[in-house]
Amino acid sequence: MNKSNNARVHQLVELLTFNNETKLGFVLVAGIIIAAIIVAIGKTSVVPYNPIEQNTGPALAQPSLEHLFGTDITGRDVFSRVLYATPNDIMVSFVVVGVSFAFGALMGVVAGYRGGMLDEVLMRSTDVIFAIPALVLAISIAVILGPGLVNMMYALLIIWWPPYARLARGEALRVSHFNYVEAAKASGLRTGTILRRHVLPNILSPMVAYATIDMGSVVIIYAGLSYLGLSIRPPAPEWGAMVSAYQDFLVSAPWLPLFPALVIGIVVVAFSLLGDGIRDAVEASRIG
Amino acid sequence: MITFTLSHLISSDPIVAWLGRAASIHPELAAAYAKRFHLHDPLYVQFYYYLAGLLQGDLGYSVYKGEPVSQAIAQTLPYTLQIAVFSIVLTLVIGIPLGVLAAQYHRKPADFSIRAFYLAGISSPAFLLCLFLLLVFTYTFHVLPSGGALSPDVLSPPNVTGFVVIDSLIAGDWTTFGDALAHLIMPSLALALGVFGYVTRVLRASILDVLRTNYIRTARAKGLAENSVFFKHALRNAMIPVVTLASLLTAWLVTGTLFAETIFTYPGVGQYAVQALSSLDYPSILAITLVFALIIVFANLVADILYAVVDPEIRL
Repeated sequence: MNKSNNARVHQLVELLTFNNETKLGFVLVAGIIIAAIIVAIGKTSVVPYNPIEQNTGPALAQPSLEHLFGTDITGRDVFSRVLYATPNDIMVSFVVVGVSFAFGALMGVVAGYRGGMLDEVLMRSTDVIFAIPALVLAISIAVILGPGLVNMMYALLIIWWPPYARLARGEALRVSHFNYVEAAKASGLRTGTILRRHVLPNILSPMVAYATIDMGSVVIIYAGLSYLGLSIRPPAPEWGAMVSAYQDFLVSAPWLPLFPALVIGIVVVAFSLLGDGIRDAVEASRIG
Repeated sequence: MITFTLSHLISSDPIVAWLGRAASIHPELAAAYAKRFHLHDPLYVQFYYYLAGLLQGDLGYSVYKGEPVSQAIAQTLPYTLQIAVFSIVLTLVIGIPLGVLAAQYHRKPADFSIRAFYLAGISSPAFLLCLFLLLVFTYTFHVLPSGGALSPDVLSPPNVTGFVVIDSLIAGDWTTFGDALAHLIMPSLALALGVFGYVTRVLRASILDVLRTNYIRTARAKGLAENSVFFKHALRNAMIPVVTLASLLTAWLVTGTLFAETIFTYPGVGQYAVQALSSLDYPSILAITLVFALIIVFANLVADILYAVVDPEIRL
């Protein structure tokens, strides 16, 4: 048991340090997640200024040591606001990707392994969702449910799982013809057991790689939705909403909209670097 | 069907959204609206009216725009298509050469800088690219206009196709043409910067794959010049996977227009969509979702045809 755990840790370390870009991605992602956790626990006590308190400094102050990202028109500290919004954005990505992963994997594995009618219905329904751009569909759903964080996540979940189901189905199809699955079938194991013990573990790595890159996609689309005003209500800070609120100051104080937007970009880059690395490592191990 | 169901699940009362306080002051007005748009009929009756209308090319009436939705779409769609076509061209113009370069200088500094460049593009939300370009080209260098489809002092060309760029060419009006183009560059470039990376990445990988194949070795063994091997034999086959991206790129561009057109106040479908959203204009939201879906279906069709052009193994 101990030995296999050691082997797993070793495998994980190898995966996360596959190349320099993966390392950089891992460090960034770890940093972002740790920051999110610290802010989520410490709330306002860990950010330099209260994110909704006005007049922490002069209005529209330039970036300085005191106010790293400057201050907005009401004198709120922009860095504190950006930092304070971190747990929220990260949580949305984790929830959306996590639930889509679990649900998609379940649907896809069963559909791919069983085939037939169920497979047909599943694939056609994902076709329909694929035909409409994610953001447009998410907007329509978000409008129906009304603005707000939870509704936004429902909207994203509805459109987010199909790619996972597709991926899981393809992988399950591939794996289901392998000898060890045939052997498991021949030894009389029940379908559920075969899926859980033999199919699922062998399709996880490409799915994890996809999910890691996908975290960034959720961050982008969520920022887009909140930019359009469909997420949390102000004054609670949110990256996308901040960009849209501050873009009128693009001429007088360009750092106001650009810093929150850049933070979104950096988070996305971090997840793609890590995800790309994991994918390359998975492919390398497959080719052997 | 989906679009209809979705937009009718909205819980807010559209009459209140359209008429504001007038609804409570003049109940007969609200009743007239409700009757006109069949709002009090059961949903399946409304769906019947919608489908019947759809088949006749009637997409409903946009209370927000004060005109039939089909008319509003007809007016805005050419602008969006202008941006879409222009940004696809820019995407290929930026993406393909960089992909070729990255493959030729595989694992050299050029490859890494190209990778950093496209990663930055892919990872940026559409509005960041828009704001960034706006800041650079309009507010710092003052070379491009900040928004709109034409400058206020430029006469719009006689309406023939609805596409300002084409109409001004037909009219032979070069000032208008130049002005229309200047207004088109930034929104299109912003969208292209967000997606060219997919083209570059896929092309780079596929060129590297192709260069390892036997027929390339044969071509080299025949003593062909390296350039001829690369451009005649490798590149053409390496382009095949790029065609697969068509649907992904179109989806990205379509969603991108929501932001680009809003930020650059470009009077296309994207801006119309955002306005329709905030005024709960169902018929418009419905029609726009439908139009976007049709654009993507069309892009997939074009991609399938392109496959046959690029890949001689596929016959339509």
